[in-house]
Amino acid sequence: MTAAARPHIDGWSWPPALDPPATTIALPAGGAIVRVPDMRRSAPDALQAALREAARALASTPVRDRIAVLGSAAESLADSLDARATESVAANAELSPPMTQAVLAEMAGAWTRASLSRLVAEEFPDPRVLDGFAPGRRRRVRARGPALVLHVGSGSVPGVTVTSILRAMLLGSAVLAKPGAGDVALAVRFAEVLKAARPDVAAALAVQYWPGGHEEWDAWERAALAAADQVVVYGSDAVVESVRARTPARVRLVEHGHRVGAAVVDPANSPRSAVSAARAVALADQRGCVSAHLFFVLAAPAETARWCEALAAELGRLARTLPPGAPAAGLASAVHQLRGRLALKAAAGEPVRVWSSAGVEWTVALAGIDDFAPVGGRTAWVVPATGRDACLAGLASLRGVLQSVGLAGVSPEEDDFADALFALGATRIVPLERMPFPAADWLHDGRRPLRELAVWGEAAGRGDSVRHLERTGLAVARDAGSRK
Amino acid sequence: MTAAPRVAAGPLAPVLAELARCFGRWRGWSVSSGDAAQAASGPAPPASVLAAPAAPAGFARDETFDRVAMRVHAAQRTANPVLRRYWDAASGSPLTWRDVPPVPAAAFRDTRICAGPAEAVFRTSGTSSGRERRGEHHVASLGLYRAAAQGAYRAALFDRAGTLCLIALVPAPGDAPDSSLGAMAGFVAEEPEVSSASWAFDPEQGVRPAVVRRAVARADAPVLLLATAFALVHLLDALGDSRLPLPPGSRVMETGGFKGRAARVDRRALYARLAQQLGIGQADVVNEYGMTELLSQSYDGVAGRAAPLEKRVHRFPPWVRVQALDPASLRRLPPGKAGLLSIFDLANAGSACPVLTEDLGVVDAGGGFRLRGRAAAAEARGCSLAAESFLRAVPPRSG
Repeated sequence: MTAAARPHIDGWSWPPALDPPATTIALPAGGAIVRVPDMRRSAPDALQAALREAARALASTPVRDRIAVLGSAAESLADSLDARATESVAANAELSPPMTQAVLAEMAGAWTRASLSRLVAEEFPDPRVLDGFAPGRRRRVRARGPALVLHVGSGSVPGVTVTSILRAMLLGSAVLAKPGAGDVALAVRFAEVLKAARPDVAAALAVQYWPGGHEEWDAWERAALAAADQVVVYGSDAVVESVRARTPARVRLVEHGHRVGAAVVDPANSPRSAVSAARAVALADQRGCVSAHLFFVLAAPAETARWCEALAAELGRLARTLPPGAPAAGLASAVHQLRGRLALKAAAGEPVRVWSSAGVEWTVALAGIDDFAPVGGRTAWVVPATGRDACLAGLASLRGVLQSVGLAGVSPEEDDFADALFALGATRIVPLERMPFPAADWLHDGRRPLRELAVWGEAAGRGDSVRHLERTGLAVARDAGSRK
Repeated sequence: MTAAPRVAAGPLAPVLAELARCFGRWRGWSVSSGDAAQAASGPAPPASVLAAPAAPAGFARDETFDRVAMRVHAAQRTANPVLRRYWDAASGSPLTWRDVPPVPAAAFRDTRICAGPAEAVFRTSGTSSGRERRGEHHVASLGLYRAAAQGAYRAALFDRAGTLCLIALVPAPGDAPDSSLGAMAGFVAEEPEVSSASWAFDPEQGVRPAVVRRAVARADAPVLLLATAFALVHLLDALGDSRLPLPPGSRVMETGGFKGRAARVDRRALYARLAQQLGIGQADVVNEYGMTELLSQSYDGVAGRAAPLEKRVHRFPPWVRVQALDPASLRRLPPGKAGLLSIFDLANAGSACPVLTEDLGVVDAGGGFRLRGRAAAAEARGCSLAAESFLRAVPPRSG
């Protein structure tokens, strides 16, 4: 896409009570040009003061009301995504409109009032802790979000920022959200929808895009990191390390690094596994941390090759129904380098086969695990495996970057396979067909989605001090100390 | 000036020897078109298997280049069954050099692309952390490499030069025998104009500023400073506020830097610092664009009279052709359009002539090109791990 063809969109939405910033500038963000307040030489003082003020009101709202307001706004957001709005989100994310629609339809399912209710119930069996100190077995317990959360996104999957905003605001936190470059349009749209429906709640939300890590924005970014009580960062190792290095020690940091998804497939027990696999590869153009890149196929070589053919056919079908976005030069280059590399290995007599589209829409590589790398661009790397132990041996080398593992025709219970996968770092083991879209309450990177963000407090109940003294043996009967 | 190139062994030996003889006669980009025509039509040497022109200027004619390129291609197909199978699988019968499917630079990481024995193995720079592999270029003829490199560096670096004192911020050939840049610096050190050579880079410790200071203090002639852009930055940082003016007539060749992963070197800022700290003007600094996978190099000017940065264009010697390809379709783009650079280098006759780089550039109608940097694979990612990060993060598999 040329710069001239890029749509121009707003890259900010501030609380209603704040005066609009005096000057704005245009910045490239994903496939769009976004207009944002020029904060390069400013500090977020007024913004954070307004957000903190709004957080007090939000936190004093009962959690059931927060669920209702935020869920309704998210439902309205989903309803508002007509063809024109979807195109804007798609252009910003550099996904095709049909793919954007498919991604948002699935993601929005996790943002509804019903989903948010389930999420809160799953995370807090006694949700009263979110509204005040609630009695526990031995003490009274309270949970709430920190007053001000800074969300730092760096990706190009639309919806990641909205999910992060919802989680923080459910806990009563105000949020300053810097979306990833390709996630600006949807995040701003959500803030505007919330502002129209409930300006009092929207007062606790500011969305502002800036190019993270850019030296011109360094002063603003450092000030924003220092102003927050909690920072939630999504990004590559370089992004996470950069944010970690600049965040003061008193600020809690919740990190979501980039991850790889894998799958284990037994085609004999799962005749439609190639269909699920193609979907797990293609959705969000393989940019999600839950996207599948690597497949271990429990089958003989000939059968594995047939499964690859079926997967290739399905990826070809999806390329027509859910076409990929225009490939970035770097991605296209990486795909060509991979295909050529593997073609030469095949020419050198190695057991390697490649199925691919004429362009760079999709690629299936049947090759060994030693050469695997998550190239992206709807590339499925298929490794024949003789059994579960071979899969585990292959996955062992992904320890530290592995997240989701999809299973097709393979039982997670048999031989404690799920336990073995968890030991290798897999934190989400699910049927392959569910792999690309996690539920609202999924254990994101091995963390509780809400409990991880909460600050917990305890308070002694009436009579606690006496009980404590009794437990420790320091309490004595009134007359026990009297000696005669 | 040029010793007779050594003859390599292997099935392509006559091809490599003929090209080395031809390249050794190159005298720079300023050859007139009349000379080129004469060279193209002149009789080929008696032992010719390629009917290469008597002098490299003849390659300026597209027909001549195409004829020789397709003969080299045919010889490579015959000598290297791996390449033959690769090309057969990738396309039908190419009619011109433009139709020959390029070998991706990444393939040098895991496939030996060389027919017959290699006189040297050059490895790409970079770490070997995690599962990341370094590319290996198995070089059948060091004589051909020397002839190709020499023609270009003499034209770009030795123009109107008297005696020069070489200071190299690259590894000495003996310290890093697998460095193609080090080998080239070794060739430069042996040029008759070079009166002394100081090697100021330690493969373990990096730039050695004290060696540079001593060499400059002792220099009795203009200095020729060969360096990577990063090494120059380290040297200038080490100098701090102090200046180290090089003698008048000194010149600098810098290479790399634009395709670094985490850090990049701002060339304009670097050149300003060179002027301020070493007293070297922009016209005396030239950039070399080369890669381990290619035995020829390009330069963006002639040291001593290089154009302002914004007007510079890289040029290879005439035995190399550059195309910009559409990143998605790999179709050839017209001049002026940015694409992936695919380079057909006849000096790669011992390995593979057409190489698909990971660099973006714009080719002009005259065959020169402007670099646009590395095509970064991570530029359009979400929260899925990018390959480069993966390869660095994941340990190599044992066994």
